[in-house]
Amino acid sequence: MKASRMDRLDFVSAIVLTAFGIAVLVESLRLPRLDHLNVNPYTVPGIVPGMLGAILTLCGLAMLIRSILRGGWRLDLTADTIGGFVRSASVRRVALVLALTLGYALGLFGWLPFWLATMAFVFAFVVATEAMALGKLPPLPNIAIAAAIAAVTGAGVEFVFERLFYVRLPG
Amino acid sequence: MAGLESFLSAIGGFVISFAIIDVFWATLLGIVVGMLPGLTATLGVALMTTLTFQMEADRAILILICMYVGAIYGGSRSAILLNIPGTPANAATSLDGYPLARSGQAGRAMAIATTGSFVGGLIGMLALAVVAPALAEFALSFGAFEFFWLAVFGVLIAGQLTALDDPLKGWIAGFLGLFVAMIGQEGIHAVPRFAYGSTDLAGGIGLLPAMVGAFGFAEILTVMRQQSYEVVRGKVGSIWTGIRQAVRYRITAIRSGLIGTFMGLVPGVGEDMGAWASYAAARQTSREKNQFGKGSVEGLMAAETGNNAAVPGALIPVLTLAVPGSAPAAVLLAAMIIHGIRPGPLIMIEFPDFVFSVVAMVFLATCAMFVLGLLLTRPLLLVLRVTRERLMPVIFVLCTVGAFAIASRTFDVWVMLVFGVLGFILRELKYPMAPLILGIVLGDILDKSLRRGLVLTDGDLTPFFTRPISIVLFGSALLFIILSMPGTRRLMARMLGGRRDGDGP
Repeated sequence: MKASRMDRLDFVSAIVLTAFGIAVLVESLRLPRLDHLNVNPYTVPGIVPGMLGAILTLCGLAMLIRSILRGGWRLDLTADTIGGFVRSASVRRVALVLALTLGYALGLFGWLPFWLATMAFVFAFVVATEAMALGKLPPLPNIAIAAAIAAVTGAGVEFVFERLFYVRLPG
Repeated sequence: MAGLESFLSAIGGFVISFAIIDVFWATLLGIVVGMLPGLTATLGVALMTTLTFQMEADRAILILICMYVGAIYGGSRSAILLNIPGTPANAATSLDGYPLARSGQAGRAMAIATTGSFVGGLIGMLALAVVAPALAEFALSFGAFEFFWLAVFGVLIAGQLTALDDPLKGWIAGFLGLFVAMIGQEGIHAVPRFAYGSTDLAGGIGLLPAMVGAFGFAEILTVMRQQSYEVVRGKVGSIWTGIRQAVRYRITAIRSGLIGTFMGLVPGVGEDMGAWASYAAARQTSREKNQFGKGSVEGLMAAETGNNAAVPGALIPVLTLAVPGSAPAAVLLAAMIIHGIRPGPLIMIEFPDFVFSVVAMVFLATCAMFVLGLLLTRPLLLVLRVTRERLMPVIFVLCTVGAFAIASRTFDVWVMLVFGVLGFILRELKYPMAPLILGIVLGDILDKSLRRGLVLTDGDLTPFFTRPISIVLFGSALLFIILSMPGTRRLMARMLGGRRDGDGP
C-alpha cells in the first residue's frame, strides 16, 4: 500500500506531538508542589497540565501508530521530491509573504515611525507579490496603485487608531 | 412579559441614541469583511474588539454583534460569485450558489441567500430570547464537577464535529488549546506555569492576539498559498424573483433555522456545522434531491438559513455558561469580559436586562443585513474586484496593530505571529482551528473546576461520575469517543449496510 502525502505528514507531526506531550508532562511534574505552604495536594499547579501532557502523548502515539500502519514512515525524501517542493510556486509565494510580514512585524514595527514602516511594507508587499505572479516587474500604473494603497494605509491606520481610538502606536 | 418589555425598551434605547447609525455601518463593514476571501467573521470581530474597547459596553457589543451577523452573511457573496466561501460558514452555500451564478442567476441566488439569512437570524433570535434565560436558571445548579465535564465535553464535541473525517486531529487541536491556557499565572495559588522567568509569559497568552494570529495571519498565508481567484462576470439577474422563490421553501427555512440554532448552541461547533447540518437535512427530505449541488434553490436556502441561525444560537452558551458556541462567539465572550460584563449562570441575576439587550442587538443587525444585502447587491460586487496582492498587506497591518492595541505590548504581536505560523501549519496538516480556540477559552474553567472539585471531595472522584448532570455530560463525551473510533464506525457501517440489504426488494 502506498502511503498518501497526509500519512507521511501525520507521521512527522505525530513524532513532534509525542515529544511535545512528554515535555509538557515532565515540565508539569517539575512545577512547585507548594509543600512548604501546606496547600491542599489536590490544588497543586501541575495537576491539569500534567494530565494534558499525558493525553497529548497518548494522542501523539495513537497517530504515530496509525501513520506507521498506513505506511507513512516511508517519507520518500529524495533530492527530487525536496527540490520539487522548494521550487513549487505556492511554497515560493508563502516564503515571500513570510519574509515580508515577519520583516515588518519584527524589523520595522516599533523601530521606524508607524506610518513610514507601514507604507514601506505595503508597497513592498504589493509590488513583490504582483511581480511574482507576473514573472516580471509590474507595469508603472500597478506600481503607482501600490504606492497609493501604501500611502492611504499608512496614513489612514495611524489616523484611525491614534486620533479616533486613542491607541498609541509604537515608533 | 418582562423579557418582551426589556427587549422593546432596548430597541427604543438604541433608536433614540442614534445607535442605529452604528448598526448600519458595522453591519455593512461585516458584510464586506465576510465577502473578502481571507477575512473571516472571527478576524472581523477580533479586530473590531481592539477598536471598540474604549467605548461604552452596550455600544461596543452592539457593533461587534453587527459585525458578526454581517460577516457570516457576507461570506455567501463570495461563495456564490467566486466559488470561494468568504468565511468557512459559507462552504455549503457555494455548492448550489455558484452553479446558479454560472447560469446567469447570481442576483436570484444572492436574494435567496439574503432571505434565508434573514429568516435564520430571526429564528435564532427567538430561540436566544426563550432559551437563554431558562438555560441560565438551569445552569445555577452547576458546580465545579459539572463545569469540569462541560469543558471536557465542549472540547471533545468541537473536535469531533469540526474534523468529521479525522476526529483525533480535532481532539488534539482542542487539547493543545487547553495547554495554551495553562501558560501563565494559575488562578488558585498564583504560581506562574511554563513562563521560564518571562513576565510576559507569566501574564498568559491573550485570547485576542492568539485569535488574530490563528484566523488572520494564518488565513493570509493560506490565501497567498492558493491560486488566484476569478469573479463570475456577466448577468446578475433579477433579485426580486429570488425573494418570491425563497417564500416557497418556508418549511425548509424553518427547519434549517432550528437546526442551525441547535448547532450554534453546541460548544465550539458554530456556523459551519449549522450550515452543513441544515443542508444535509434539506437534501434528505427534498423532493428535488438530484438538483442538490447543481444549483438547488432549496439547498442554498438551507445552508444560508442554517449558518445565520447559528449566530444567535452560539450566543446562548456564551451568555449563560460563558462557553462559546463558535470561534467568533469566543471573541465576543472575551469582549464582554473586557467591558465588565460577566457572562455565566448568574447573568440573569447580575445583568437581568443584558440578555434581552443582546436579543435586540441581533434583531437590529439582522434587519440591517437584510436591507443592506438587498439594496447594495450590485455596488457590493465591486469589493470582490480587489486582488489578494493588494488586500492582504492591509489586513496584515490591521492584524499587527490590532494585536498591539489591546494592551500596547509588543509581546502580543509576537503571540499573533507565532499563532499565525502555527495555525497555518496546523491547517495544512488538516487540524481544525475552532477546538484550539475553544480550548484556550475553556482551559481556565477546566483547571479551576477540577482542582476545586477535588478539594471539595478531598480527592474522591465519585461525584464527578454520580451527580446527574455530570453523568449526562460524561456519558455524552464517552459516547462521542466510542462512536468516532474506527472499529465502531466499521461495525456501524456493516450493520447499516446489512439492514439496507435486508430492506431491499
